[in-house]
Amino acid sequence: MSRILRTTALVILGVFWLLPVYLLLVNASKSPLTYTSKEAWIPSGEFALFSNMGEALQLSGLSDSIVATLIYAFVSPIVAVLIGAAAGFAIVALRLKRGFLWFVVIFGGTVFPLQMVLLPLFDAYSRVGLYDTHVGMIIVYTAISIPFSAFVMRNFFTGVAHSVFEAAVLDGATTWRIFTRVYLPIASSALVAIFILQATFIWNDLLLGLTLTQSDNVRPIVTTLAGMQSTYGGAQISTVLAAAVLVSLPTVLLFLFTQKFFARGLALGQY
Amino acid sequence: MAVLQTPAGERAARGLDQTPGRPGRRSRKTPYQGSARGFIAPGVFLVAVLLYLPLLWTTFLSFTEYNGLGDPAWVGFDNYVEMFGDPAFVGALMNTLLWVAGTLVIPVGVGLALALLTWNLPGGIWLRLPFLIPYAISGIGVGVIWSFILSANGALDQALAVFGVTDPPRWLVDAPLNTVVMIFASSWQGVGVNALLFTIGLQSIPKEPLEAARVDGATGIRLFGSILWPMLRPLTAVVVGLSIVASLKTFDIVLSMTKGGPGRASETLALTMYRETFVNSDYGLGSAIAVFLSVVTLIASVLYLRQQLSQKHEM
Amino acid sequence: MKSRNIAAAGIAAFTTAALLLTGCSGGGGGNSGDNGDKAAATTGTLDFYTDKAAWEPDFDELNATSKDAVDISLNTTGYSDAAQYDAFIKQSFRTQKSPGLFTWHTGDSLKQLVDENLVAETTDLWSKAIDEGWATEDLRDEYTFDGKQYCVPMNIAYWVMYYNKNIFQEQGIDVPTTWKELDAAAAKLKDAGVTPYYQTSILFTFQWFQQLVAGTDPELYKGLSTGEVKYTDPEIVDIMNIWLDEQKKGWFSDAGSTTDPAVGLKQGDFAMINFGSFFNGSLDGAGMVSGEDYGMFVIPAVNADLDTTPVAVESGPLCVAENSKQKDLGLAYSEWWMSPDAQTAWNAARGDVAFNPKATVKDPMLAELGKTVADDKHTLFTRYFEATPTPILTVALEQFGAFNANPGDPMPFLEAIQAEADKYWAEQK
Repeated sequence: MSRILRTTALVILGVFWLLPVYLLLVNASKSPLTYTSKEAWIPSGEFALFSNMGEALQLSGLSDSIVATLIYAFVSPIVAVLIGAAAGFAIVALRLKRGFLWFVVIFGGTVFPLQMVLLPLFDAYSRVGLYDTHVGMIIVYTAISIPFSAFVMRNFFTGVAHSVFEAAVLDGATTWRIFTRVYLPIASSALVAIFILQATFIWNDLLLGLTLTQSDNVRPIVTTLAGMQSTYGGAQISTVLAAAVLVSLPTVLLFLFTQKFFARGLALGQY
Repeated sequence: MAVLQTPAGERAARGLDQTPGRPGRRSRKTPYQGSARGFIAPGVFLVAVLLYLPLLWTTFLSFTEYNGLGDPAWVGFDNYVEMFGDPAFVGALMNTLLWVAGTLVIPVGVGLALALLTWNLPGGIWLRLPFLIPYAISGIGVGVIWSFILSANGALDQALAVFGVTDPPRWLVDAPLNTVVMIFASSWQGVGVNALLFTIGLQSIPKEPLEAARVDGATGIRLFGSILWPMLRPLTAVVVGLSIVASLKTFDIVLSMTKGGPGRASETLALTMYRETFVNSDYGLGSAIAVFLSVVTLIASVLYLRQQLSQKHEM
Repeated sequence: MKSRNIAAAGIAAFTTAALLLTGCSGGGGGNSGDNGDKAAATTGTLDFYTDKAAWEPDFDELNATSKDAVDISLNTTGYSDAAQYDAFIKQSFRTQKSPGLFTWHTGDSLKQLVDENLVAETTDLWSKAIDEGWATEDLRDEYTFDGKQYCVPMNIAYWVMYYNKNIFQEQGIDVPTTWKELDAAAAKLKDAGVTPYYQTSILFTFQWFQQLVAGTDPELYKGLSTGEVKYTDPEIVDIMNIWLDEQKKGWFSDAGSTTDPAVGLKQGDFAMINFGSFFNGSLDGAGMVSGEDYGMFVIPAVNADLDTTPVAVESGPLCVAENSKQKDLGLAYSEWWMSPDAQTAWNAARGDVAFNPKATVKDPMLAELGKTVADDKHTLFTRYFEATPTPILTVALEQFGAFNANPGDPMPFLEAIQAEADKYWAEQK
């Protein structure tokens, strides 16, 4: 298919795809006092996005949560990515006995819905003193990110020739060095992709934050925001939408910045 | 890096000694077990303690009668009997299967198409960006926005009215239309991620076989069928596997858009579990549903993965 | 190279995190959980949990007053998902964090906690309140089990009919005082092309049912909540047919609309909405002016032969966990809470009707409402939500929602509810 044809088709499709985002922005910018649902597509004369965001911030004590969420969304995925890569490495390069079984064990962690583990975790955390702590949240976010990370990394590593490993052994490297100096670099684009996806997931988490935290400075951001949506006199819809825009900004920026990394990383080819 | 610059390393890097996946000519002894165990231990440990232990507790609960207060009382298989006997359960099962099918067709299918279309296209990264942005939008925003769009006389109906459609379907009210419509809403987020993963897969296809095929005159569909599709297999396994698992667990988007209603028409199994556990405080029944759902998901993933991967690699 | 960068980044992250953690001393845990005070403390910071997260700013506003009055301030944690909140609270009774103060629900839910001795008794507080005229005896009944009281009332709301004043004026409709007049108003609106009533198929699907049943015969309504009356009894079926008739006449708004009800009333999607008196806040927030753009009236009884007009009331309790470390603190706050000073301050912050007749209600419309329902021409009855046991309620809400979405022969819906009711009442024996 010719390039121009492809590009045009993609541009058109892309525009359509972004229409809901347009709706989000337009309606988040409407003042609650004049908001009407009948003109969803048409921006109102006033641009109230920032005042709506301000209202959202004030209503929910957001600033404390932001720092906490930044920590969670940064530390946990990094740790999970490394642990997942280590698991993939062990199974594929080091040829762990019954590797597939262990892989299923780790992957199985992602199989059941989160609701199942919420209450037992809450119980355990309270008894152990991890409830409402940063450490507790980091641990649990890391644990839930590991299965996905291990899954992708294991599959990625199966595409790396085993001779790479053997050559490194021949050169006298220890398994640790092979892991950090050879396999991790090769996998950098996959590592970054997993990091971004998990960071986004953690940033947007609601359930775990809801169950395992209570203080504003430990609560993740979306949990704090969700409190705004109560039927018993919650915020007006434009404010809720403005809050959604606010909360989504960091992840959108993250995606934007790392696009460049992908260009560089992938252009280096592989191996 | 020093390792790759030795002759052995270089040849290995260029894949000239052996193709991935063929059983090695090296001995079959497995010399790195201790080290391997060390590498995999943290992952297994964290997952076991934080995810499996609670799972065990929940499994125990599924055999009891428990309302959150007092102590659980053992009732054996009663909860499972009750679960299978409820017609709404069967309905939820059907809906969940619909989600699995729908999620395979749209987010995965369209994601793959997208990756192929943008591959090797200048500015491909930017062309993919609009599809990635939805994933970056927080759950609150997605649920609210789509309810907003699909509401009676909402944004979609308003747009249709411009084209003269005056009596549009009741998107969120009539089943199974509401499930289909929610699958579209969910796909809006999912397509970009899958496209990203497939792109990574395409980018890591070794250049030589590709060039060779092109030189042979293969283009378009033939190129896809003979080279791309087979070489994408490990990644397709990832994407499809994850897709199956995620769609079986569908919860957030249904909760925010229809809460499983009207009646229980758009309920999925995860929602049924939520209803019993959190709304009715029937932890025993809720846990039984959760166990059932987990078993189904686990079996489905293992079967699928085994079939996909056993052809390529020794275990 | 890249691995070094990743490793370096990881180490940096760990270090940062560690520093932040030691600095923050693990989040909020330092507050109340481990102050070595004896449980007898009656001043200080009280950990408070509520499922009305949107009211958190109001509780915070109240702290200024409570600090002055009794030297207690609340540290509020709000949840917006009621079901998950309930599960969290139930779970927390077994942990170190048993709540010092928390909101709950009257009816079956409270009974569950009382049966397990999980909430602190407040009989003395109530006796004092009744003596001082701070609360009515009707209200006390809601909080009484086996002759003793538990918890204190946090809020109270009456379910009335809100209406768009501008539309009423345009169509020349007066506020109806009898059911016949209400029907006539609805018909007139429909003829003029305005949808009379609001409805939804999610969550708040019960209010018309409760209004019709209690408005026909309060004893019938009570019978439903004790299991003596079946949903499939002919009287109930007749009432459902009245509702079905109104549906067929197109008197209800589109059940598939997810537009916020306050916005809907503002833009004229419907002229009237049967809702709780806390709705004022939402309407004000949407830009409507109380008394000018919207008004409210008590819904007249369906059955004109009734002595008094029934009005649905919902009351949410403030409870103290029996085994909480902050039990005394919680009870001290509860005692202060019932006083007129506290209630007036609360009303200034929140703006709903007050349960304490001596408190000052800011909004004249709500003050008027409070007086009206207290007179002897009106009787209060418990809202359907609290009057119905949970498993039955869950099915009923779903069935009413399905009925709203596809109105038709009521029997299948009623039978589904009754099936659940049969199961429930059989287990109670």
